[in-house]
Amino acid sequence: MRKDGYAPIEDYALIGDGRTAALVARDGSIDWLCLPNLDSPSVFAALLDQQRGGCFELQPSIPFKSSRRYLPDTNVLETTFETDRGVVRLTDAMTLPDEHLAPAREIVRLVEGVSGQVPIRWRCAPRFDYGAVAPRMGSRAGVPVATSSREAIALCHWNVGAVSLEAAAISGAFESRAGDRSTFALASASSEPLVMPSRAAAEGRLAKTAAFWRQWTGAREYRGDWMAAVHRSALALKLLIFAPSGASAAAPTTSLPEEIGGERNWDYRCCWIRDSNFVIYALLELGCYDEAKALFWWFMQATALTEPELHVLYRLDGGIGLAEHDIALSGYRDSRPVRVGNGALEQMQLDVYGDLFETAWLYSEGHHSLDRDTGIVLGRIADYVCDIWRQPDSGIWEVRNGPFHFTHSKVMCWAALDRAVRLAERGEMPDRHAARWRSEAAAIERFVEERCWSDELGSYTRTAGDERVDASLLMLPLVGYGDVRGAKINGTIDAVSRKLRRGDLVYRYLADDGVGGREGCFLNCSFWLVGALARAGRVGEATTLMHSLVGRANDVGLYAEEVDPVDGTFLGNFPQALVHLALIDAAVAIDKASRS
Amino acid sequence: MMYSWLGAGFLATLVMTSMARGAGELGLTRMDLPFLLGTTVTENRRKAKAIGYVFHFLLGVAFAALYAAFFVLIGRSGWWIGALLGIVHALFTGTVLINVLLPIVHPRIGTPETAANETALLEPPGFLMLNYGRNTFFVALATHVAYGTIIGLVVRV
Repeated sequence: MRKDGYAPIEDYALIGDGRTAALVARDGSIDWLCLPNLDSPSVFAALLDQQRGGCFELQPSIPFKSSRRYLPDTNVLETTFETDRGVVRLTDAMTLPDEHLAPAREIVRLVEGVSGQVPIRWRCAPRFDYGAVAPRMGSRAGVPVATSSREAIALCHWNVGAVSLEAAAISGAFESRAGDRSTFALASASSEPLVMPSRAAAEGRLAKTAAFWRQWTGAREYRGDWMAAVHRSALALKLLIFAPSGASAAAPTTSLPEEIGGERNWDYRCCWIRDSNFVIYALLELGCYDEAKALFWWFMQATALTEPELHVLYRLDGGIGLAEHDIALSGYRDSRPVRVGNGALEQMQLDVYGDLFETAWLYSEGHHSLDRDTGIVLGRIADYVCDIWRQPDSGIWEVRNGPFHFTHSKVMCWAALDRAVRLAERGEMPDRHAARWRSEAAAIERFVEERCWSDELGSYTRTAGDERVDASLLMLPLVGYGDVRGAKINGTIDAVSRKLRRGDLVYRYLADDGVGGREGCFLNCSFWLVGALARAGRVGEATTLMHSLVGRANDVGLYAEEVDPVDGTFLGNFPQALVHLALIDAAVAIDKASRS
Repeated sequence: MMYSWLGAGFLATLVMTSMARGAGELGLTRMDLPFLLGTTVTENRRKAKAIGYVFHFLLGVAFAALYAAFFVLIGRSGWWIGALLGIVHALFTGTVLINVLLPIVHPRIGTPETAANETALLEPPGFLMLNYGRNTFFVALATHVAYGTIIGLVVRV
């Protein structure tokens, strides 16, 4: 049910092709699409502004109930509309290119009459450049076309009734009887002529796209207890991997709010170094060796310009120009500002160094040896970590009132140097400075044990000298810090649960972070708690929590960044890679702990 | 004449390669042409760079022959004509050769068309190779001008 014209975030499903992605609402409206790439300006942004954003609506024109699913093991979405006058099925997919000349990007929408006779209405209203530019409408050989500067889209259609070309939209209506098939192919071009597909070509690509996804999912190696959730997460992650470069986006959206009406609205269409460590881990666990190798190659290429200093995040094409600015959309349910770009780029976050080395270590463990040049670069970065770990930083949560001495950041610096020593011992990095890395790792450990532990709490603390906890401490067992089944880690897990857990949800912290407003519970923190419990040997508790969290997914198995602990609704960008990565890690951790 | 363009090609490519390497070390660009060329035949980074340097020198000498042919065609040579040719060469490289043609024949490089059913190991260079850093084209321009200047100085018509 829409509120002020906005569908709940959990009402969306994702379709994509590895270059861009779209969000389709339960009522059949495509409310978010950026072209030609995931981080390009939007063509449909009704998600962030019902009036100006643009969308592609397609639904029965009489009252209906809808249910939906992904076709098994695919990213092809199927929505079924039930009405008093019959049932129709809508299949949505972003097609993958085949051997024929295909549009640069293509969304195919197939409407099939299942029973009765259902009146359908549809309206395609593109708005280029985040709603700022109304399109110039026209027609090419009977096909409606919307253009703006170098961008163009064509709406090819078959058996959809009379088509009306309005000033800034294309619309129509038709009746779908049992056995009828009506098809739309939304074809786009950027700086090149439009390719207008034939009906057979568009429907053929839809079938081939479904077949590709089934084949891809069938090749995944996870066969544990949480297979459905893990495979859905893998399919969502695959859509967030930007195929032209191999980089992984944190989410396909910008500025879905962490608080309705609030200002915690961020652009997640970029690649965080932090996430890539989880992505590589997940890809290797799932048997996606090619994707893991592509991401690692991207990783080393992207960081080449700035090493030994690392940026927190990079553009999907590997660039570093991500200046944050506000755009003139009204925001999801008036949640302003709507931001493009990400200001976290300028922050110092020490944990990314640990993430880089953990990524290299996992890559190396996954039977890919590091080449000599990569080893030399990593050696320079390890030396740099020795120089900077004593400095305060903005931490994993990118607080804007810092810097502080975050425990998690120090532990990740320890992890960086620990992995550097291990890689040097294995001959994959030059070992000239290994003694220094070893002694600095020991110094970090002393710092954490002496200044970041509270006897009163029986736990590691959020920052040095603090008496509060932070969900990032749940990552300590993940990187192998301390005795993962020992008293200190168990005490920390208990303290985080005691202070931050609300039912199955976990706040990331309860402290000022320099940004106004409040936020929900970050779902990745809940999955990290599952992983920490499993690694600590508390498999029963982990399994119970995992069952509850898997039930938190929306009807098609996707998660937003956060959940409102009061009413359970989704908040934040959607779907979020880190949550799905944490789910995969938690599932694997439980399976491994159960086996051992 | 024959030996002059061969020698000039080798010398100019040597200078060009050293300048490009230096720019990479200074953090001006992530462009690494020997690496891009070498990965057409192998995924092994170390081997790729070695093979890529050989390819690059062969290409450098081949382009020197084209420069020399142009000098013969117009009946004169000189450092500034070589430098002008270097500018044209850099523009062609940034807009067509590396940006469009190399990704078409390179089995491991992504293109804007690469989708989820393919896995590219190398990011596409983009227009003027800007995906490899904002200064990449200026580096390419400087190295090609140096290359052309040397060819123009050494090859006499």
